[in-house]
Amino acid sequence: MVTFILRKIASGVVVLAAISFLTYFLLYFSSANIARNILGEFASQEQVTAKELELGLDQALLPRFFAWAGHALSGDLGTSWFTSEPVARALMTRLPVTLAVVITSIICIAIIATAIGMAAAVKRGWIDKAVQGAAVIGDAIPSFVMAIILVTVFAIQLKLFPATSSISPDSGASAWVLSLTLPVLAIVINGVTSAAQQIRSAVIKQLEKDYVRTLRSRGISEREILFKHVLRSAAPAGLTVLSLQFIGMLGGVVIIEQIFALPGMGALAVQSTTMGDIPLVMGVVLYTVVIVIIVNLLVDLINGWLNPKVRVS
Amino acid sequence: MKFGPKSTVMAVLTATALALTACGGGAGGGGNAGAPATTLTIGQLQDLVSFEPADAHIGHTMPYYQAVYDTLIRRAPDGTLEPMVAESWTYNADNTVLTLKLRTDVTFSDGTKLDAAAVKANLDHFKEAKGRDAYQVASLGSVAVVDASTVAVTLTAQDPAFTYYLSLAAGIMGSPKALGTEAIKTVPDGSGPYELDAKNTVKGSQYVFTKRANYWDKDLQKFDKITMKFLADVTARTNAIVSGQVDATLLDPKTGKQADAAGLTLNDSQVDWQGLLLMDRDGKVTPEMANPKVRQAMNFAFDRKTILDQQLLGKGTVTNQVFGPESGAYLPELDNSYPYDPAKAKALLAEAGYPNGFTLKIPTMTGFEAITATIQQQLGDIGIKVQIETIPQANYVPDLAAAKYSAAVFNLYQAEPWVAVNQMISTTALYNPFKSTTPELADLITKVQNGGEKSAEEAKAVNKYVTENAWFVPFYRLDQMFYTNKKITVEPQLQQAIPSIYNYAPAK
Repeated sequence: MVTFILRKIASGVVVLAAISFLTYFLLYFSSANIARNILGEFASQEQVTAKELELGLDQALLPRFFAWAGHALSGDLGTSWFTSEPVARALMTRLPVTLAVVITSIICIAIIATAIGMAAAVKRGWIDKAVQGAAVIGDAIPSFVMAIILVTVFAIQLKLFPATSSISPDSGASAWVLSLTLPVLAIVINGVTSAAQQIRSAVIKQLEKDYVRTLRSRGISEREILFKHVLRSAAPAGLTVLSLQFIGMLGGVVIIEQIFALPGMGALAVQSTTMGDIPLVMGVVLYTVVIVIIVNLLVDLINGWLNPKVRVS
Repeated sequence: MKFGPKSTVMAVLTATALALTACGGGAGGGGNAGAPATTLTIGQLQDLVSFEPADAHIGHTMPYYQAVYDTLIRRAPDGTLEPMVAESWTYNADNTVLTLKLRTDVTFSDGTKLDAAAVKANLDHFKEAKGRDAYQVASLGSVAVVDASTVAVTLTAQDPAFTYYLSLAAGIMGSPKALGTEAIKTVPDGSGPYELDAKNTVKGSQYVFTKRANYWDKDLQKFDKITMKFLADVTARTNAIVSGQVDATLLDPKTGKQADAAGLTLNDSQVDWQGLLLMDRDGKVTPEMANPKVRQAMNFAFDRKTILDQQLLGKGTVTNQVFGPESGAYLPELDNSYPYDPAKAKALLAEAGYPNGFTLKIPTMTGFEAITATIQQQLGDIGIKVQIETIPQANYVPDLAAAKYSAAVFNLYQAEPWVAVNQMISTTALYNPFKSTTPELADLITKVQNGGEKSAEEAKAVNKYVTENAWFVPFYRLDQMFYTNKKITVEPQLQQAIPSIYNYAPAK
């Protein structure tokens, strides 16, 4: 078990290093105008050159990357080139917002999708047809369209929730609940149907297996078969879908954050990338990759716990 | 229908939640009916980069600075310059030494007095730091402290716009103790009508300002609290104002329809003009463009009215000149210079020796796709083949300034004549990257510079020259779709994308 985790972490570190370098490599080629953009149109050429020197923009790719990596390894992600805010602080005020949206969404999706998917698989009939139909509609309506519909109905017409939000880790709990309800709802409506669809087919597949018939013949209750055996065997498929959705959401939440003006990572990523704020972009990438690695590790661990076969292999 | 215990609990919980949210939402709905508003919330298009005065920039970020800093001079909504920190100012005979008399009752947040030495420190710092608006002090030679409440600013050359600049970034007064420090970037240290409420401010999202105690001009503190919310997305701004979260914000013609339907007030004014900058007038990159006939042909190629109707739902006014009606340099007759006439355009191209047209490369970026596609089509109709190159937004202005393109579409604000000349016509202007000029034009420009009071009048000749010689292809002046709700009123500020904070007042 320990070696399994260590192996996963080791591969995670390799992925992290590779992606960091790749990002830095890509940013390197678009860094021509950065000093000019920081100083504005009216700065003299000498000032621009001095700024480039100060930021190390005059150096070659590798020395620049290793200088950054060295600092990052010692926990120093630097400061934003444009706002002079320490990168770690910028991320720490914004990461909670994005994570709150994404994690709440994924938990809601997991619970609702499992319930609907199982109901559809077991009962079949109209519930099944409804889930199938809803899956198509849910997939077809992007979350940002859903977000705009939700804002129009619940924020503008009914005035139940704020249309846009400025929340930070210092805001109170009620502000968080009010601010996050609509964004989470928009993501959940879009994501839940496809997850339910996956869980439905996984459960149906298990229900058709021989071991279910054997269990039934032994007189074990349907409820016990379903929750103790079938769900457990069907879980890996569901988990994989959810983990993929989670990772997809980290990117997709950018648009949701725009619509609700949430001060999350998405807005930061877009702004820093368009301006060429390399320390900030690198910080965003680093944190995102670490989150993805952690999620993948957790999914592997849960899968192993659910299904001993996975552990052996 | 019978409710089980579970559904009863759910119903109670839901009802409580709804009641709570209704209470919470009340803040957006705003106070008792009839009572004047005590708070103002503005939806801002751009985020603040820093509170350092040298980083201040004209346009969308100016309100952040106006809240916390005083400027030497205040510009009234109609463009008149009025006293602020400077009680009065006078030029010497040849307009090269500006003497400012200062108020004596102004102090910064840190307790330092705003006196002549502080003004000198600010102007010197602004020049030294070479921030985004450093062009405003290009003509600043030296600042002398005459006495505690008098400064004398010596200019290297006449500058008809200098006092105007002192109402903008160059006139912002920060505490000399804080200027240039790291601290002032996040915590402003000024003497303005409001102070930053750091506790309720969320960087990159919302900035809260509360009324400064003992401020010297109560008329500038019409609200107890001002909140500026940074809402980059126009959909977010529309939702915010329609739902009552913000009291004022800038929309566009399309989202404006939604605001109209919600009964919001449109405070329209015209600030920017949009069109093509024909920068390569000496034909360094595109030799054909050296011929004025070619540039005139390009002016005749555009069906401006149709473009305006289709791109902006008609929210604007077609024009052929780059100077605005309020600038003083506007000539109504120039607007008939280039009616839509593709046949004439083709004839002019043929006369110039290019009957088969030529190839022209123009850049585009996010937001300009539709207009560049229209340009491609309209110039294509007269035989000019336009190649469009998509470049990142951040590179657009630097690439223009680096003379990488012969022509480019842009929105520029219709400034005071001398400002406009230095923005796009003089050889040092950012938007004249090929530094085109002629002895005749240089003469006209000098007359504007040395025109003193009559500077705007003199600029009419410059306007006539650049219109006749087709330096640009102006399409139209854009309506600024600035909306407010019924709780507040606002006066548009001349030549400014959004109103100054002084222009807001609670509705009576």
